[in-house]
Amino acid sequence: MSHLAPENTSGEYALSFNDLKVTFETSGPLVHAVKGLSLAVRPGEVVALVGESGSGKSVTSTAAMGLLPENANISGEAKIGNVNVVGLEQGKMRKMRATDIAMVFQEPMTALNPVLTIERQLTEALELHGIAYGKAATERAIELLTMVGIPEPDKRIKQYPHQFSGGQRQRIVIAMAISCDPKVIIADEPTTALDVTVQAEILDLLRELKDRLNTGILLITHNMGVVADMADQVAVMFQGNLVETGSVDQVLLHPRHAYTQRLLAAVPRLSAPALITENAPHSERTAPAGRELVLEAKDLVLEYNMRGKVFRAVEGVSFDVAKGEVLGIVGESGSGKSTIAKAVIGLLPVAEGNLSVKGHNLPKLSPKEARAVRKQIGVIFQDPAASLNPRFPIGECISEPMVVHKVGSKASRIKRAEELLDAVKLPRNVINRYPHELSGGQRQRVCIARALTLNPELLIADEPTSALDVSVQAVVLEMIQDLQRDFNFACLFVSHDLAVVDMLADAVVVMRSGKAVEQGMVETVLHAPTHDYTKRLLAAAPVPDPYEQATRREAWRLLNKNK
Amino acid sequence: MLKFILKRLGSAVGVLFAASLLLYILVINSGDPLGDLRESNAENREYLMQQRIDYMNLEQPWYLRYLTWLGGVGKCFVGSCDLGQNINGVEVSGLLANAASSTLRLVLLATVIAAVLGIAIGVLTAVRQYSGLDYLVTFLTFLFFSLPVFWAAVLLKEYMAIGYNDWLENPQISIGTSILIGVIVGLLLQMLLAGSLKRRGLTFLITAIFVPLLLQYSLWLNFYRYPQMGPAIIVVLTLLLALSATAMSVGLKEKKVLYPALITVVLVLVMYYATFWILKDANAWILVIGAILSVAIPGLIGKFMGGRLSKLASGVAALVGLIGAGLTVLDHIFRAWPGFLDLKGRPIGTIGSSTANLGGGFWDNFLDNATQLLLPTIVLAIISLASYSRYTRSSMLEVQQQDYIRTARSKGLSERTVIFRHAFRNALIPIATIAAFDFAGLIGGAVVTETVFGWKGMGDMFSTGLHAVDPAPVMAFFLVTGTAAILFNLLADIVYALLDPRIRV
Amino acid sequence: MSNINGKTPQDLTSIAEVEDAKLAASTEQSKSQSRIVFERFLKHKPAMISSVLLVLITVIAFTSVGFGPLPGWWKQSYLDAGTVIDGGKPTLSLLPTWLGGSGFAIGEHPFGQDSVGKDYFALVMNGAQKSIVIGVVVGLVATFLGAVIGAVAGYFRGWVDEVLMRITDLFIVIPLLVLAAVLGQIAGRSSSSIFALALVLGLVTWTGLARLVRGEILSLREREYVSAAQAMGSRTSRVIFKHLLPNTVGVIVVNATFAIAGAILLESSLSFLGFGVQAPESSLGLLISQYQNAFLTRPWLFWWPGMIIVVFALSINFLGDGLRDAFDPRQSGKRRRPRAGLFAMPTRKEKR
Repeated sequence: MSHLAPENTSGEYALSFNDLKVTFETSGPLVHAVKGLSLAVRPGEVVALVGESGSGKSVTSTAAMGLLPENANISGEAKIGNVNVVGLEQGKMRKMRATDIAMVFQEPMTALNPVLTIERQLTEALELHGIAYGKAATERAIELLTMVGIPEPDKRIKQYPHQFSGGQRQRIVIAMAISCDPKVIIADEPTTALDVTVQAEILDLLRELKDRLNTGILLITHNMGVVADMADQVAVMFQGNLVETGSVDQVLLHPRHAYTQRLLAAVPRLSAPALITENAPHSERTAPAGRELVLEAKDLVLEYNMRGKVFRAVEGVSFDVAKGEVLGIVGESGSGKSTIAKAVIGLLPVAEGNLSVKGHNLPKLSPKEARAVRKQIGVIFQDPAASLNPRFPIGECISEPMVVHKVGSKASRIKRAEELLDAVKLPRNVINRYPHELSGGQRQRVCIARALTLNPELLIADEPTSALDVSVQAVVLEMIQDLQRDFNFACLFVSHDLAVVDMLADAVVVMRSGKAVEQGMVETVLHAPTHDYTKRLLAAAPVPDPYEQATRREAWRLLNKNK
Repeated sequence: MLKFILKRLGSAVGVLFAASLLLYILVINSGDPLGDLRESNAENREYLMQQRIDYMNLEQPWYLRYLTWLGGVGKCFVGSCDLGQNINGVEVSGLLANAASSTLRLVLLATVIAAVLGIAIGVLTAVRQYSGLDYLVTFLTFLFFSLPVFWAAVLLKEYMAIGYNDWLENPQISIGTSILIGVIVGLLLQMLLAGSLKRRGLTFLITAIFVPLLLQYSLWLNFYRYPQMGPAIIVVLTLLLALSATAMSVGLKEKKVLYPALITVVLVLVMYYATFWILKDANAWILVIGAILSVAIPGLIGKFMGGRLSKLASGVAALVGLIGAGLTVLDHIFRAWPGFLDLKGRPIGTIGSSTANLGGGFWDNFLDNATQLLLPTIVLAIISLASYSRYTRSSMLEVQQQDYIRTARSKGLSERTVIFRHAFRNALIPIATIAAFDFAGLIGGAVVTETVFGWKGMGDMFSTGLHAVDPAPVMAFFLVTGTAAILFNLLADIVYALLDPRIRV
Repeated sequence: MSNINGKTPQDLTSIAEVEDAKLAASTEQSKSQSRIVFERFLKHKPAMISSVLLVLITVIAFTSVGFGPLPGWWKQSYLDAGTVIDGGKPTLSLLPTWLGGSGFAIGEHPFGQDSVGKDYFALVMNGAQKSIVIGVVVGLVATFLGAVIGAVAGYFRGWVDEVLMRITDLFIVIPLLVLAAVLGQIAGRSSSSIFALALVLGLVTWTGLARLVRGEILSLREREYVSAAQAMGSRTSRVIFKHLLPNTVGVIVVNATFAIAGAILLESSLSFLGFGVQAPESSLGLLISQYQNAFLTRPWLFWWPGMIIVVFALSINFLGDGLRDAFDPRQSGKRRRPRAGLFAMPTRKEKR
C-alpha cells in the first residue's frame, strides 16, 4: 500500500482504522469486503470515504459501529478515540454507541420507527446514556430539534415520523445522532435519497453542527459534488481496497490513481456557460424549418385518482420533441416529471389537453390505434433490478416487443436480439442468460436494447441512470448518446440531474409541483436561467471541484436569503 | 379514528346481512326436513308432519320464512328476541342463552390463551432463529397444524383426563419416572434459557436434580390431593419476583423502583389476612374488583414514588401486586381442592360444560367449571396457538430487517429494548388482522370440540339443527357467532389503529 | 491483492469494466428461476422425506384395494364382513425377534378388523384414497379459482376487488367449517360421489389464496417490467398470464400444498360430524367417528385412520414449507429501494 497509515498518537483521532479487514462467510467462497484499510478522522474534520457499489465503504462504517452481521470476520483495528472496537464485548460497544460514535443513515423515510413519537425516539438515547431524564430529556430533545431546524419543535415533538417530510426526517435522524455529543458521526450517504435543494440544506446543517460541536465526520458517499462541498480529506475505495487518500484539493483536482481519475472523468458536469444572446423559447416559431415533430403536448393536464380524491400531478404543460432531438424534463420528486412520461407511454390517461405522437392525439385513439402508436415508442425505466421479467431469458426480454406486435419469425427475432446486444456492447451469449446473472448497468443496457427493438421513433427514458454507479452511468449515457446519433430517434429524457440533462438534451423543461416553470434550449435555460427556481436548482447541485463549489455555495446561500 | 371504526362496522353489518341470507337459503335447501317422518311407520304420521309444517311455517315460500326470521331478529333491538321455533316447536331463543354463554366462554378463553402464548412463542423463536428451540417449536407447530381437531380431542380425553383421574386416585411417581421427568424438563429448560455451553449445562444439571426431588417431596406431602401454600410461601415468591423484576429492569440499586415493589410485597401479605374470610366464600365480582385493585394500588404507589422512573416503578409494582393477588387466589383454590375432590372424585371432566347437581360453594363450582373447560380449551388453543406463533415469528423476522431497528441499535439500546420497544409493536400490526380470521376458525373448531366433549353448546345446536334441516337453530348459531366475530374483528381494528399511528393521525 | 475470484485482471479501474469482464469470463451454466428453485427444493431434507412418504402412501393406497373398476392386489374388500379373529387385533408386526418382538410379518389383517370383521387395512386404504382425491381435487379447484380471481382483482382493482374482499369478509362471519358443512350436506344428499364433495369444498376454500395472489399482484403490477410490457402494447391477457402469474407461482404452489392439507383435514372433520362422506362408504374421519368409543377396547381402530391423516397433513405441510423456502430463501442481500420513479404511487408529499 502506498498511502500512509495514520500514526497512533493517542487522543488525536476521533476515529481511526488500522489495516481493517472484513470478510464475509457465505455459502459460496469467502467474500473479501474490505482488504486492509487505514484511515483517520480528526475532531472537527470531515473525511469523505468515496467509492461505488461493492467498494466496501459501507461495510467499513458498519464495522466501526460494531453492527456487522454474525457471518463477518473482522481483523485489524477500528479505534474510536483510544478504544479499539474490533472484538469489543457487545455490552461495552453499546455504551459507546451514541455517546462516542453515532450514525446518520441513507434512508430517512425508513430510519425512524413509525409507531413511536419523535419525543420517545429522541429521549430514549438520552435516558439510556444517563444524560437527562423525564422532563429534562424532553426539553433537551426540543433543543436538539431547534438546532437542526425543525419549526415549532415543542409541538411537533409529539408527532410521529410519517407526519414529517423526507428532509425533516433526515434532520431528526441528525438530531438523534448529535444528541449524546459523539466524538465522531458516520454519515452513510446522508443525502442520496433527497432532492438536490434538500441535499444542500442538509449539507449546510451538517457543516454548521460539525463546526459548533467539533465532531469528526466520516462521510460516506458516491457523489463527488458532495465530497467537494463537505470534505477536508478524501479516501477513495475500489473493490475493497483503499486506492487513494489525500486532501480534497489534491484528490479531486490532481488525482493520482487511475481509478480516481476515471471516476472523476465519469462525473457529468454542467458545461461552461456558452455565450448566447438568443433568449427565445424553443418552439416551432424559432425552430429551423423541416423539424419533423414526433411528440407534442399542448396544455397537458394529468391527474391521479386516489380513492375518489383527484390529485393534479401535471397542469398545463406544453412541449414538443422532433426527430433527432432530445428533450430533457428536470425537476425534484413530486414535480410531475415522471407522470408526463407515464402518460406518453399510455399508463395514465390524459385528463385535459392534447398529447400527440406523430400527429395522433393519444386521448382520442381507439385501443387498436393506440397499440399501433405504441409500437413506435421505446421505454427505459429507472430501476434495472425491476425492469426485466426475472423469468425471461435476456433474448426473450429483448425480442418481446416483436412478439407483442407479431413482427418477424423466430429466427429473425433471435437475429435482431443479437444485433441489439452488439449495439449495447454485450456479448452475444448473454442471450440465454437470465436477468439475475447481470449487473445493474448490464441490465440497463438490455433495457436499452429492448427499447430499440422495433426501431422506435420516440424513446422515453425515465431516470435511466439514477440507480447506477457514476462510472456505469457514464457508460450508459454515452451509449444512449451514440445510439441516438445512429438511429436518430426523438427522445424524452426525464432526470433529476441537471448535469446529465445538460450533457444529453437539446431542450429542457424545468418542472415544479406539476407546472413548467421554465423551458427552452439547454444553453438558455441551464446557463442563463431566468426563473428563481431554476437558479436554485442549479446552485444546489454540487460540482466535484472544491473551489468552484465554494463559490456556488455562496451563491446558493445568497439565493436562499433572497427567497 | 371514529369514522374509520364506524365505516368498518357499517360494512360488517352489511356482510352479516348478506351472509345470513346465503346461509338461510343453503340450509333450507340442504335436505328434506320431513324426511324422517316420511319414512316412519308411526300411526299419527300425518299429524306429526302437519305439526312440523306448522312449527316451521313450511307452507310459506322461503323468502317469507326468511323475512319472518329477520323480523324476529329485529325485535332484539326492542329487547324481545324471537328466533323462531325449532323442529320440535321449542323456542330457540330460550335454548340459546345457556348454549351461547358456554361456547363463547370456551372460544374467548381459547383465543386469549392462544394469542398470548402464541405471540410469546413467536417472539422467542424469532429472537432465537435457527436454534434448537426454534426447530423444536417449528416441528411442533407443523404437527399442530396437521392434527385433526377431533382426533387430538379424543386423545386428550383418553390420556389426560382419564389417565390423570386414575392417577389421582392414588398419586404415585416411581423414582425412575421422576428422574426421567427431571431430565426431560432439564433438557427443555436449557433450550429455553440458552446462553453459553457452560450455562446450559448448569441449567440442565440443577433442573435434572431439583425436579425429581421436588416431585418426590410433593408426593410425600400428598400435594396432589391436599395442595397447600400458605402466606409464608406467597411472601417468599412475591419477594423473589419483586427483587428479580427490579434487578432485570434497572438494577437493585435503584431505590425508586425497589421500594414500591417491596411495599407491594408487604401489602400482599396484609391483604392475604384482610381478605381471607371474604375470599373464603367469594363471588365473581369480588374476584374482578380484587384483580383491578391489585393492579391499581401498587401502580399508584409506583407512580408517586417512582419520580423520574415512575412508569417503570408502577409497572414493576403492578406486576408484583397482580402476581401476589393471583397467588392468594391460588391459595384459596388449594384450600378448596380436597373438598372439591370429595364432591367430584374424577376432577377432569370429559362430558358437558359443567357437572349437574354438584352442590358445594363458589370455589367448588369455580373448580368444576374450570376442570370441565380445561380439555376443550387446550384442544382449541393448541391449534390456534400454532398459527399465532408462526405468524408472529415471521412478522418479527421481517421487522428485524427494517432500517429503524438498525437505528435503534445504533443508539446503543440493549437487545431487549430493541426487540420489545421497537420491533414488537411493529410486528404486532399484521397480527391484528390475522386474529379476526383466526377467531372464525376457532368457532368452527368449537363445533367439532363440542361434539367430542358432549357440550350442549352452540356447536351442538348447529350440528343437530343442520342434520334435521332445521334453519332456526342454525341461524341462531350464526347470529351469535357472526356477531361475536364482528365484535372481535372490530376490536382487532381498534387494536390495529392503536398500534399504528399512520391509521390514527 | 487478488481481484474477484482471480478471474479479472487487477489493473481494471472501472466498475463497468469489472462487471463486463466478469460476465465474459463467467462459464457457469445459466439457470432459469424454476431450475434454481427446484435445486433448492432438493436440498430441503424434511420436504424430500415428506415427498417420498407421500408417494409411498399414495401408491399403496391406490394399488392395494384398487380404484373404481381397477382391481388391487389386496385380497380383502372393505365392504365384506367376516369372522373376527383374535378380537380383531392387528397382525402387523415390525419389531424384530431379537428385540423381543415376533419378527416382521404382515399377516391376514395387518391393521386388524372392525366389530363386524371387516378388514381394517382395506377400510383405511379406502379412506386414504378418498382423502387423496379430496386433497387433489380441492387443491386444483381452489388453486385455479383463487389464482384467477386473485389475479383479476389485483390487476383491475375497482369493483372486482371490492367484491372479492367482501366475499373474503364473509368467511369472518361464517366460519369455513360451517359453510362447508352445509354445502357438504347438500352435496352428500344429492350425490354419493366423493367428487361432488371435493368440488363443493373447492368452491369454498379458494378465498385465502385469492387474497394472497391479489396482494402479490398488487405489488408486482407496480414493477417496471410490467409497465414495460404495458407500454409496448401487450394485451392484458399477456400481461397477466406471461408477466404477472408466472411470478406469483411461488405463492400459488406453496399455498396449493397448504390448501391440500387443509382440505384433507376439513373433509375428515366434516365426515366426523356427519356432513361429509356417509356410511356405507368409508372415510378416515368417519372411521374415527365410528370408533372413538372403542379407544379403550380396540385402540387400533382409532389410531390407524388418525395416524394416516396426521402423516398426510404433516408431510404435505413440510412439502409446502420446503417449497416456500425454495421459492423465497431469506436472502440477506440488501434490496435497494427505488426512489419515487415513474411507477411509484404519489407519496404523501406529492399528494399535498
